[in-house]
Amino acid sequence: MSRRDRFRGAVDRLSAVGDRVAAVSRLYTAVGSLRSWLEGHALAVLGIGTAAVLAVMLYLPVGVVFVNAGFEDGVPTFTHVADVLTDPFYFGFLADIFAEPFAIGSHLASLVGWVGAISISLSLEYPLSDLGIPLPVPWLGLETPGLRQGLFGFTAYQAGLSTIASVALGLPAAYVLANYEFRGRRTLRSLTILPFVLPGIMVAVGFYAMFGQAGTLNSLLGAVGLGPFAFVETSPLAIVILAHAFYNAPLVARITVAAWESVDRRAVETARSLGASERRAFRDVVVPQLAPAVLTGALLTFIFTFMTFPIVLALGGLQLATVEVWIYDRIQRLDYAEAATLAVLETILSLGLTYAYLRYESAQTGFSQAASPPPKEALFPDLQTALSPRRLAIVGYGLVTLVVFVGPLASLVVGSVTDGGGFTLDHYAFLLERQLEGESFQTLPLPAIRNSLLFAVATLAIAVPMGVVVSVLTARAGRLGTVVDTLAMVPLAVSGIVFGIGLLQGLVFGISLPGGWRFQVTGAVAIVVAHAVAAYPFVTRNVSPLLSGLDPAMVESARALGASRYRALLDVELPLVASGIVAGAAFAFAISIGEFSSTVILASGGESYTMPVAVERYLGRRSGPAIAMGTILLVVTAASFVVVDRVGGRFER
Amino acid sequence: MRRRTFVGAVGGTATIGLAGCLTQENGEGADSNGGDDATGDTDAATDDGTDGTDEETLEGTVTVATYESMVDGTDPAGPWLKDEFGATYPNAELEWTVPEQGLTEYVQRAQNGAGIEADVYLGANIDDLVNIDDNLEAGGLFTELDVERIERADRIRDGLDMGDPHGRVLAYDTGYISLVYDETVIDEPDTFEDLTEPAYEDALLAQNAQTSDPGQAFLLWTIDAFGEDGYLEYWAQLQENGVRVLDSWTDSYDGAYMNEERPMVVSYSTDQVFANMAGHDLSRHQLAFPNDQGYANPEGMAIFEGAEQLDLAYAFLDFALSNDAQAEIAQRNVQFPAVESEYVDLDEEFDEYAHEPPEAVTVGYDELRGNLDGWVDDWARQFASQ
Repeated sequence: MSRRDRFRGAVDRLSAVGDRVAAVSRLYTAVGSLRSWLEGHALAVLGIGTAAVLAVMLYLPVGVVFVNAGFEDGVPTFTHVADVLTDPFYFGFLADIFAEPFAIGSHLASLVGWVGAISISLSLEYPLSDLGIPLPVPWLGLETPGLRQGLFGFTAYQAGLSTIASVALGLPAAYVLANYEFRGRRTLRSLTILPFVLPGIMVAVGFYAMFGQAGTLNSLLGAVGLGPFAFVETSPLAIVILAHAFYNAPLVARITVAAWESVDRRAVETARSLGASERRAFRDVVVPQLAPAVLTGALLTFIFTFMTFPIVLALGGLQLATVEVWIYDRIQRLDYAEAATLAVLETILSLGLTYAYLRYESAQTGFSQAASPPPKEALFPDLQTALSPRRLAIVGYGLVTLVVFVGPLASLVVGSVTDGGGFTLDHYAFLLERQLEGESFQTLPLPAIRNSLLFAVATLAIAVPMGVVVSVLTARAGRLGTVVDTLAMVPLAVSGIVFGIGLLQGLVFGISLPGGWRFQVTGAVAIVVAHAVAAYPFVTRNVSPLLSGLDPAMVESARALGASRYRALLDVELPLVASGIVAGAAFAFAISIGEFSSTVILASGGESYTMPVAVERYLGRRSGPAIAMGTILLVVTAASFVVVDRVGGRFER
Repeated sequence: MRRRTFVGAVGGTATIGLAGCLTQENGEGADSNGGDDATGDTDAATDDGTDGTDEETLEGTVTVATYESMVDGTDPAGPWLKDEFGATYPNAELEWTVPEQGLTEYVQRAQNGAGIEADVYLGANIDDLVNIDDNLEAGGLFTELDVERIERADRIRDGLDMGDPHGRVLAYDTGYISLVYDETVIDEPDTFEDLTEPAYEDALLAQNAQTSDPGQAFLLWTIDAFGEDGYLEYWAQLQENGVRVLDSWTDSYDGAYMNEERPMVVSYSTDQVFANMAGHDLSRHQLAFPNDQGYANPEGMAIFEGAEQLDLAYAFLDFALSNDAQAEIAQRNVQFPAVESEYVDLDEEFDEYAHEPPEAVTVGYDELRGNLDGWVDDWARQFASQ
């Protein structure tokens, strides 16, 4: 290009810039009037946008699969549902009742027979003898005659146990993080949801590497002359529940911390000044403000572990199979009718629980007027305090978290740098080589990292307003609001496998429209929107409890003084629930980074694969490269969580 | 102030993203026309027959669908096949595509009337054919192969005939399922019955036949041994003896077996190749072939009905059976070649560590057809009944 051309090019560009400036200034005026219109209608616009996103990216794909449950060749039918409900394999003893719901006499007779066969005995047992501890424990034996649970019954049972374990492990973490100050507290709070992003198979491998007979824990115990213990083999159910707690206790903790940090301390002080003891004030003032958050965490945990897959089979084995395993199998065998029926029943159950909880949540009238959490104590101010029973309990809990949470993660990291010959960097060398010399049809590490981060940021940008809008529109909107709020939780209540297959059949294959058009959605935009759909309920569930805990009088006075609903939201409510928004945003980020089942389908054949997809693709007969990629996933995610929380922290205070 | 702009900007993004999805349309016409033209050109050329003209005149891009580890694992054969095919047919190109759900995805596409862009499928098992015929029409999805057009087809070993009555597939490699055990803990089991003995109590790790290929192969192996009336009883005894059925090969092998949870696992007869590569002590990587058998899982290649690049597709099938391609597929993917040994040269190291069973068994197409789903379901229900 000659110098003159270049000059002319520059002049052209300049005048183009001039035009653009004029256009921009015209636009600016337009934007000005648009903005004032938007401010009046912002909530409505956001609400409609949210509904549209959900229609295309959620209800359409899910509907494509669910329709198989109730229709056969276009004709409505109840046979599929009836077949499943009356199959003892699925519903155990309930199947008889579903089969003949009105034969009350015979059902009562069998109930009486069952109760009559219960026997109670008292004895001394040695429950720890397997571990070499001959400790006698008085044992109240309760012998109940076998009652067939069926697949649904067992799935609910293990989900219930997992929920208890997750709450038990999560609450102490929330207590420590919300009430004590120590070096690295914020970082630790950011990292709590790290387990959330790990692909299931990595968790399984990490658990075996930590708790296996040749695992990290047994090597440590062996060093002090103990073991080896067969932790996994002794109780497959226990190890599965522990793995569920590994995923979900952080969830409970994070949601509860957010609530604890928005507690209105002045109410506590009022109670104290009125003569309530510290314990009484905690029970009557703090606990009611925390309860919605704890219950939300428990609800989400139950729903997740009800639909758990594939962690149960990976650690526990086929005898612990859950409903989701059968859905996967039916989809693989292209039996959509049964798969859809099972999935519909799963969803109904999850939504039923959600509705029941939301009725409770919306009945809570708040009186909180400001987020003024209790001041944080130093964790270990001096030696004497450090030896107090409460501090020692915290230390004990810290050890438990080291084993349960840090152990499997650390064992994974160790696994990424070892093979039969000991220390090796081969697995990372593989990743480096793939990055430098990989072919276009192969999966490269850097694009996977880049895509994951880009998608996660974009997901944040969509999911946070979506979630907040749903919270605002449904909080205090009575029974209708609760119904809408329940329906908004559908992304969590639908089997991930069904959602994936729905995306494939509905959006990737495309849907024929009249006139030879085909409606197809794939690629990066679709992935981000699918992630946002999966993530926004977390924002809603973090924000809603706090929002309904606010004193409604505050918004009413703002409105009375002339503020639009939108302005009242921005200036009054959101600042007060900021900690919930930040927690929700952290979840949205984590959901996006960890999402696998829909990403892998929407990214198929393209270059929008993410880190979990790369982990799965590197998994072959040699697991080293996949574990190395999993470790990179962990490190990248940990770093970005810290950044997200730091950035979010500015909005909090 | 800052907070408000943040929320405002976010609302904008959501709407733009959505608009992007809604305006997409299909450009069907142009694509398929172009493809038809190319096929027309090359059809004439192959009728001449001779190799020399083929290699020069064949042109276009043949799209080969396959599974993940063919292109994306450690040192897979896929990139080599692509380069070498391009070198053999200088005017042609091989393009890989990896359907996320394997062959099932194409069955679904056929069911939904969504287009199929691939010409060749590499990696079809016998049960895939059954799956096609049970869900589409018998003999569907793939075209019946004209074996005359695949010169090297007669190099394929006896016993690797995949038994398709519709002649749609040719084997290009095979693997064998066997048991891998730790000789420092247990002795080699000689028969299936041995596995139900007290000596093997709580010893065996297997995989879920619903979700895992080796798991399904092992189940079919027991059906071959005990018949469809006897296999559930045999599995009841295995359950009695404490068999553990995990989800996938990775969690049973890399998870449980490698962390010494148990001394025996259902795996592949090429186990020592990997163990040797990773520097593991081979005493924990001994092979057992109960009843002196191994279950063969031949992998086949097929051409899609209506493939746009039919001639290139045939050329690829023939190419995949050539000496070099067979050796590379075998050694990189750690599988056994499909051709007789005189048509392939393998490294000594591969021969030393990859073992073939004295006798290979497979449950054939005819027996699987209409039965497979029921067999697997009955078996799984027996385990999962609570």
